Parts: sequence; structure tokens; C-alpha cells
Amino acid sequence: MGAIDGHLLLRMSYTALIAGVGVAAVFSLTVYGMTRSSDMRREDRRIAAASYALLGLIGLALTGALVVIGLILLARKS
Amino acid sequence: MSGDVILVIVIFTALAFDVTNGFHDTANVVATAISTRALPARPAIAAASLLNFAGAFISLKVADTVGKGFVDTHAVTTTVVFAGLVGAIAWNIITWYFGLPSSSSHALIGGLVGSTAAAAGLHSVDGSGLLGNLIVPALAAPVIAFITAGLSILVVYRIVGRLRPGPTSRGFRLGQLVSSGLLALSHGTNDAQKTMGVITLALVAHGSIPANAFHVPTWVVIASATAIAVGTFSGGWRIIRTLGARIVKMDPAQGFAAQGAGAAVILAASSVGYPLSTTHVISGGIMGAGAGKRVSAVRWGVAGNIVTGWVLTLPAAALFGAAVDTLSGVFGTGATGPLVITIVLLLALGATFARRAQQAQAAPVTS
Repeated sequence: MGAIDGHLLLRMSYTALIAGVGVAAVFSLTVYGMTRSSDMRREDRRIAAASYALLGLIGLALTGALVVIGLILLARKS
Repeated sequence: MSGDVILVIVIFTALAFDVTNGFHDTANVVATAISTRALPARPAIAAASLLNFAGAFISLKVADTVGKGFVDTHAVTTTVVFAGLVGAIAWNIITWYFGLPSSSSHALIGGLVGSTAAAAGLHSVDGSGLLGNLIVPALAAPVIAFITAGLSILVVYRIVGRLRPGPTSRGFRLGQLVSSGLLALSHGTNDAQKTMGVITLALVAHGSIPANAFHVPTWVVIASATAIAVGTFSGGWRIIRTLGARIVKMDPAQGFAAQGAGAAVILAASSVGYPLSTTHVISGGIMGAGAGKRVSAVRWGVAGNIVTGWVLTLPAAALFGAAVDTLSGVFGTGATGPLVITIVLLLALGATFARRAQQAQAAPVTS
């Protein structure tokens, strides 16, 4: 490696940006789904509560998948 | 014979540096989780320690860059590596003592560059490697972390902004268990490799590994991982306070965004072999998460002090490294110089820690 490798810098930048914002977004969906599900349960709206809980679970699964895929990709490249 | 003695001293000094690196950088990893009460201090530090250990086994690209990317390996002797390490340790201890977050990584590379330049001349330093592999990524990484954390917190508030604050905070505190863990893992991945690179460089200088077959032996990986884990477990309270609360008061969502952004940047950098500073990155993330909510929430004065520490680190550690190499040369080319300097360093460290322990007893920090 020598001088400034713009391609590597760019790759680092967009990978970090997509991974960081992506994980924050999908985990926020988890929090949103779980909190709204709890609200709906208190109002005895069971179908809505189940739907929000499903959204939360999907967000949680996506968060876990993003983290695991990121680590696997890192380990494979190195 | 004296070459073997110096190699042993260098390996122990490198591992000692790794311990101070973990000690110094614990704050970077756990400060936000502790300040938002996502985790109590001691379990946070213990978990960070374990994950630092695990992270050291994920990648070796950064070790390659540190070993080959900054100085001419043919100009490096075991004494030069020793002098660089002592320069870096001295700077780490000074910044730790004054509670100033600096970069252990830049201290290490600065020390190595300074000692190599003092021993073999400036031409033995790879200026383009230093610029391309260290300085430019060092400038870019905190900015990327700032932008990533800022955008993350905007997205987070957009999604959860109208929810009840209690459950939302509890949710992000749970999320911080994951983001803290990722940050600790990324720290081990990037920082432990710097020590691996330096020990391998010393092995090349000693002749144990051919210069054209640079590779990190497994025992070096295990020893470096263990050293950084031990250092992390020992903790660094003063810097935890600076990073966790003095830059910006954070809510759990901000802590999650800052840590997630930090981990993403460090892992992305590790995948391309850049030896980044976790201090730079997480500070950028914390400021980004603070500014994303409200620009005035960031205490820019404290942030300015931290930036001053960053700017000083490379030249100061280089000066220390050069001074130690010159001092070691006074005792000849054998093992006497490194031995004398090691004894003096150990005495100075002992005195510093004893003084710090006395102060800590007088004013304990609660979790």
C-alpha cells in the first residue's frame, strides 16, 4: 500500500455509513414495534398489538442478521 | 545473545504497550453505555475485555499495515522497535494521567517513526505510507463516524420520536448491549493488531521471520489478544468521565447511535487494513449523535481539547521515540540501553500508579 488509495477510503466510508445507519434504522423499527405493541395491548386491541409485535420481531431479526453478516464478511476478507 | 535479550525486552514492552492501550481505550468502548445507564460499570468493562480478546482473532490486515506500511523494514532493528514502543507508552501514560483522550495507535506509529528516523535517517520513513495509511484515514474516520452517528440519530428520532420515552429508552438501553459489544469487538480487531504488527516487525528485525515472508505467528496473536483484554479489564476511569458525559449528555438512543457508528467505522477500516484510533472514531460518533439532536448540546470546548490531544500525539510520540533511541545509543548497541531504560520506565510507572491509587482512594468514582 502506498500514497492515498481513494478507492479503499471510499469503500470504508460507504460501508460504515450503510452499516451504521442501517442497523440504527432496523433496530428503531424493533423499538417502535415493541412499544406500539405494548400500547395496543393496554387498549385491548389484540390484532394491532400482534401486528406491531411482528414488526418488532422482524426488526430484531434484521438487526441480528446485519450484524452477523457484517462480521462474517469481515472475517472472510481478512 | 544481546539480540535475543533485546527481542525478549521488545516483546514484553510491546505487550505492556498493549495493556496500556486496553487500559487507555476502555473508556472509548464502555463510556457511552455507562453514562446512559445501559450497563453498570464493572460488568461493562468485563464484557468489553472478553470481546476485545475475541476481536483480536478476526483479522490480520491492520497488523500487516503496521508492520510494513510506515517504515523501511530493513532499517529497523530490535532497539529501534523498543525505542518506538517506549515513546508510545510514555505518551500514553502522560495523556492518561491528565485525563486527555489521545490515540494509542498514533502514539505507537509516531514512536516507531521517530525512533526509525533517529536511528536510520528520515529517508527510512515511508512518507506516502504514513500519509495514505495513517494520516488521511485518521482525518477521515472521525468525520465519517460523526456523519454516520448524526444520520443514525436523525433516522432513529424520525421512527421513534413520538413514542413514550420510558419504553423507548429501555429499548435502546437493550440495544446498547449489542452496540457496546460490537464496539469492544471492533476495538480488539483494530487495536490488538497494532501490537501484533510491532512484535512481528521486531521478529523480522531479529531475523526470526524473513522480511519477504512477513506473517503474524499464532502465538503473537494470542499474546496480543490476552494483553489488550487484561488492559481493558483494568479500566480507565478518568477518560470514561471525559468521553461519557463531558462531551455531550446523551440519551440511550444517542448512545446506541454513537456506538453503532463507531463500531461500523472501525470494522470497515479493519477490513481494508487501516490502523484507526478508536478514540478518534468514538469521539466523532458521540459528537455526531449529540449534534444530530441539537448542535449546541455538544460541549465544543471539551471536544477542542480532545482534538488538541490528537494533533499533538503523532509528533510528541515521535519525539519521545527519537529521544529514547538516542538515549539507548549512549549505552552502545547491546542490550544495556534497553535494559536500563526498561528499569527506569518500570520505576516511573510504579510511582505513577501508586500516586493514582492514592488519589483514587481519596476520591473514589462510583458507577
